[in-house]
Amino acid sequence: MLTVLVQLILAGVLQGGTYALAAFGLSLIFCITEILNITHGEFIMLGGLVTYILFAATGLHPFLILLIVIPIFIFLGFGYQKAFIKPILNRPPRQLLFSSIVVTVGIATAIEDTTSFIWGPTVKGVSFSMPAFTICGVVISSLRLSILVLIIGLTIFLHFYLKKTFVGKAIRAILQNREGAMVIGINVPRIITVVFGIAIGLAGVAGVFYVLLFTIGPFIGLPLTIRYIAIVMLGGSGSLLGSLVGGLILGVAETFAGFFLGAHWSLSVAFFTLVLVLLLKPEGLFRHV
Amino acid sequence: MFKKIFVPFNGVFILILIGLILLPRFVDPYWVVFSLLVFMYIGVGASFNITAGYLGYVNLGHYVFFGISAYGFSMVYVKGVPFLLCMAVGIAVTVIFATLISYPFLRLKGGYFALANFGLIKLFELVASSLRDFTGGTQGISLKPGYRPFQTYFIFLGVALLTVFVCYWIPKSKFGLALFSIREDEEVAAAFGIDVNRHKMGAYVLSSVFPALLGGAYAWYSAYIDPETVFGTDKALLPVTMVMLGGTGTFLGPIVGAIFMMIIEEILWTAAWLPVWMKSLHLTMLGLILAAVGIFSPGGFVTLTPVTVFFRWIGLGRFLGASHKSLDLERAPIQ
Repeated sequence: MLTVLVQLILAGVLQGGTYALAAFGLSLIFCITEILNITHGEFIMLGGLVTYILFAATGLHPFLILLIVIPIFIFLGFGYQKAFIKPILNRPPRQLLFSSIVVTVGIATAIEDTTSFIWGPTVKGVSFSMPAFTICGVVISSLRLSILVLIIGLTIFLHFYLKKTFVGKAIRAILQNREGAMVIGINVPRIITVVFGIAIGLAGVAGVFYVLLFTIGPFIGLPLTIRYIAIVMLGGSGSLLGSLVGGLILGVAETFAGFFLGAHWSLSVAFFTLVLVLLLKPEGLFRHV
Repeated sequence: MFKKIFVPFNGVFILILIGLILLPRFVDPYWVVFSLLVFMYIGVGASFNITAGYLGYVNLGHYVFFGISAYGFSMVYVKGVPFLLCMAVGIAVTVIFATLISYPFLRLKGGYFALANFGLIKLFELVASSLRDFTGGTQGISLKPGYRPFQTYFIFLGVALLTVFVCYWIPKSKFGLALFSIREDEEVAAAFGIDVNRHKMGAYVLSSVFPALLGGAYAWYSAYIDPETVFGTDKALLPVTMVMLGGTGTFLGPIVGAIFMMIIEEILWTAAWLPVWMKSLHLTMLGLILAAVGIFSPGGFVTLTPVTVFFRWIGLGRFLGASHKSLDLERAPIQ
């Protein structure tokens, strides 16, 4: 029983790690532009799809595919920002809320439908395995372990990127006070573009890990976005640590629910987490970067 | 009181009403079904407008009330309970659910509220397909079949009129004034002595009643429901698209949007000259229309000049303006 528990926690931590990567992007976008990017889950799906296609076509090592996916998705983020977000960015708050919901839900639906039309509604996975080893009766696959190491590495990189570089400092400045940041001469539109690049890039990375660990289908996008919302609410918006902790909690909770109740209940875990957080601690666990 | 409410509904309105009541006598049953669906979307859309337009809380999962009521109705109806009692059960279940869920959800702001509600739709689709013993799982529930478009036509017409009437009454009432002030600024509204939580909850529950009425009747009409037909994402997004297209927060917006959207859908589905791939991609079309509306015309159709001119011409000009002037506060633009 103990080994099962350890196994479950490991699986949950891994799942939570992939969640946290994408959820941080979502919360960054939300804090900086006040736009809730409902399309976010679709980019995970697209990241997984690109990996699947590249893997089927070339048979490259998935971690090499990761190096291809990251620039593609950063530029996809720039393009997405330019085409759909920029035109609505300057509207007054309530109109911005309406427009952002309408636009992002519309794009998400369109992406879902087009993907399922072109690549079919079937579930896809990348069958790639690396040798597993056993420690004290706990089976650890080295694929999962290396993904975990990559996630940790990426998180540390992100942390230092936000703390040390100029762009990172500018992002944090805008998080704290947008008008103040403008006054001291930070180029806000450019930073917003960069933020979308980072966020969508992270979503793409999460998509690569997702397709390696689980399977993807065209309709996983919106349920994933709902999970990220739960994570962002749980962790508090705009906080890297918050996204990480929220992601881990949700990942472990979902794995346990999936093991004890059945896999199709995992989405309701996110939902009940959301309701619970709202009832107990509406402002989230952590504040800002 | 009488004058304030009833006098605006004269002339053109009464002509339209008589036309609608006589319509089933003169046209093909196909168009009766078409117009009953239009009424259904007007009802759902106009009640969505109560929370989204008047209160300023975009409830993307508004359609969930429709589905809950449809399921409540059907689960009782198959046991042989009379129609009206089943309707009452459907509405009661929905209203209780709305009251319970409104407490945690109305603490959310803006996009979070929208998405949490949208999650509700997904959750209910999941629950309805998982609880096989109660809901029949993905098989759905089959009711006793029958041919009843005409009765349904009048039920839906009645509910749509009721919804439209309530949506007309709200901006004139004290309740509506409270909703508008909450929409503009919650803290200020609270400072002026408005019980913010009670009004938000009231609007949320009130808006859940109309889809509940329609949901039960719809289950009765179609004689078959499954999770896909009452909790499907595309079904849930359609009324939202209609209202946004027509114009949120206006009286005519949901009506114009519903009629326009149903005509577009009809063309997309039936026109022989359109290629097949366009029909397969009709959800993509819906999404792109939604995005285009958000980018190019945030105010919706009722703010466009040709539409305005048309409504002035037929004498409904006074319904055009936003129900209440919005003071949407300025923020430093991003240069």
